[in-house]
Amino acid sequence: MLWIALHLPFLSLESFAATLVDGAGGVDADPQIALVDEHRISAANAAAQAQGVKPGLKRATALALAPRITLGQADPARDAEALLPVAHAALAFTPQVSLQPANEPGAASHTVLLEVQASLRYFGGLDALVRRLQQALAPLGHTLRIAVATTAQGAAVLARVEPPPRCLDLAATRAALAHAPVWLLGPGREHWEALQGMGLRCIGDLLGLPRAGLARRFGEPLLAEIDSAFGRRPDPRMPIVAARLFESRIELFARADSSEQVLQGAALLLARLVLWLAAQHSFVRRFRLLMHHETRWQQGDRTPQATALEIALAEPSRDSDHLLVLLRERLARLQLPAPTLELALQAEDIVKRAAPNSELFPTRQSEDEGLTRLIERLQARLGASQVQRLEAVDDHRPERASRLRQAEAGARPARPAQRGARRAAPRAAGEANLLAASPRPVWIEPVCMPLAERRSRPLLEGRPLSLLSGPERIEAGWWDAGLAERDYFIAEAADGALVWIYRARLPLSAEARESGWFLHGRFG
Amino acid sequence: MDPIPAALVSPSGAAARAGRWLHSHPASSQASGGQASGTATIARRAPETLHPALWLGHQLGRSGSHAVASGFAALDAELPGGGWPRRVLSELLLPHAGVGEIRLLAPALVAAQRAGRLVMMFDPPAALSATALARLDLDLEELLVVNTRSRVVPGSDSLWALEQALKSGHVGAVVAWLPPRLRAERLRRLQLAAHNHDGVAFVLREAAAAGRPTASPLRLALQAGGVDRLQLRILKRRGPPLETPLQLALPAVLSNAARRRSQGPGEAALALPAATFVDFA
Repeated sequence: MLWIALHLPFLSLESFAATLVDGAGGVDADPQIALVDEHRISAANAAAQAQGVKPGLKRATALALAPRITLGQADPARDAEALLPVAHAALAFTPQVSLQPANEPGAASHTVLLEVQASLRYFGGLDALVRRLQQALAPLGHTLRIAVATTAQGAAVLARVEPPPRCLDLAATRAALAHAPVWLLGPGREHWEALQGMGLRCIGDLLGLPRAGLARRFGEPLLAEIDSAFGRRPDPRMPIVAARLFESRIELFARADSSEQVLQGAALLLARLVLWLAAQHSFVRRFRLLMHHETRWQQGDRTPQATALEIALAEPSRDSDHLLVLLRERLARLQLPAPTLELALQAEDIVKRAAPNSELFPTRQSEDEGLTRLIERLQARLGASQVQRLEAVDDHRPERASRLRQAEAGARPARPAQRGARRAAPRAAGEANLLAASPRPVWIEPVCMPLAERRSRPLLEGRPLSLLSGPERIEAGWWDAGLAERDYFIAEAADGALVWIYRARLPLSAEARESGWFLHGRFG
Repeated sequence: MDPIPAALVSPSGAAARAGRWLHSHPASSQASGGQASGTATIARRAPETLHPALWLGHQLGRSGSHAVASGFAALDAELPGGGWPRRVLSELLLPHAGVGEIRLLAPALVAAQRAGRLVMMFDPPAALSATALARLDLDLEELLVVNTRSRVVPGSDSLWALEQALKSGHVGAVVAWLPPRLRAERLRRLQLAAHNHDGVAFVLREAAAAGRPTASPLRLALQAGGVDRLQLRILKRRGPPLETPLQLALPAVLSNAARRRSQGPGEAALALPAATFVDFA
């Protein structure tokens, strides 16, 4: 058994700092932050401590010492929510992940334990595994203390020693534990003064004492903890399991007015989502960002309580950069009806599949994937309907013979195998007939331009057109509103370019304005 | 971060500039070559043999990556590298849409599609006809049309989409119609993005842009040169300026009979009375 303990000494501060978004709370580059619990400072960051703010001070004292300090309420629930993604990140390395219970009742755990003996070989040794663990946790931005020991309890204790040791066998673990301060043990904290008075500073000092006396004076739990830390007593841990549905929320310290501020908060939620996906070995296909708005107590106010932003992906992904780009583009287009107070990210639609192979050289698959992302990005910014595919329609009227249809971002990668086959197949007979018909210009004018006429000859930009070929009579659309009765000619403009003009048939044409010559296309 | 294109930092870009310089000062190449005597040494170690990006002023540059054949032999002969260059913008100046530009570009686009890659068109100036494109052998399944100017996105520019497509490097060929009076630095930005783009990239601009400098190494002016003919002037290329315009025969729109008639002397066009129709075909 080899346990890694991830200890987050500043979890409470960091989880609170994450709720501050620029322009809303902390404006400084190095904001002073402290947490208040029952009117007393429970934690302070380095900038605040430099001003003399330290745990135990009264709230008013802290404000007097550092007027610019941002005081937040300590919140064990928020800490627990912030620790969960750390556990999810660990689940990507081993299924045996558990949370070390907090020493004080009611407080949130600050330590995640991983049993990694079985994973060492796959990840290439302990050092490589720890490095990858740190990389995986980097997006969350927590300060980490990582200790390695052969017992779970031992690792949890040693993670709080400065610097955290790495003990690869039981003897080293015991030696390291013997030098650890005694207050690191849970029960040792409450009896700290008594232990101090008796000159017992290290855990090693307790080992030489008679067990019965220790148990009578300091209680059974202290002995039990020492025994499990030293590997003399079984220490079963309940592995945590990632929830089936992802939901994470973050309550912003100050309201977010701009979408940029919302995005800052959402970036953290996305990082959590990606870690949860990694723990599940799955990819997200659709997720939802809920923005809870400030309630306005006005009569007849119709501001909705929350705005939901649904993002569907063409290709399931767990690339946080890509997801963030999509979210940014969509948020930029969204008009928020009211300032946002709370963000929640939900994901239900996930796909389990093997991780994509990383390739050294670009391949067909990587190109298709890149294209899908490119199209998704373009659609997120420009609107889904602005990326279009052209398709032919069986209609004789030229303006209806082509249609632009919204392109699906993922449509292309789905059929890479068929592509060659389809191209090799001979064209259908009907299509061949259509192609053999008269020429069609590449450019179709969206609005047919009426042409002036001089001595029965059409003019384009004041110069006469010479008719080269025609007429080609198109008479269609009597079954719908778009009746067309036209005779088409190919004409040469003065500069030699070919244009496609038509003359509405007179006097049969129903509409009076449909008389004379019209420019309908250009041969590009 | 934009990757800095290799041409800016690698010696190849500097060498390309030095190539011209060497031409005007042949003595300096001799000096750098270790004070060899006589012109024979220069001939033996001709500068253009040293590096593919080096060429003499009177020669046609050879493009570093393989060029894409344009499908027109007369044009290929005049383009550096023997075809449309890859990884750079090729700028085409048109007086108006519909001078034969699509027929000119179609062979290169079809080649990209045959290689299984996607063709993207940005902001075409009018509606495209699927039938006409299919007749030019373009595969509509492998063609995407992107409209960037239908709606103004605050804080963004209409070239963002084009830049993204070029930068991604996953698109086979790009044809973009640029907004008029585009500033030179915007084009320069696109040119930098095009360095990641392994394929041809055509930007089509108005003819008036000919008077302004360009960042793209190839600039052509197109003009209709008669029925099914395209008159093409090479305004800028890696090589000597081309004095005479090229005349390219485009794939015919008209039937042979109609074309003969149009080339025939005299008044080919008919003064048609309003309701008289004659089948010329």
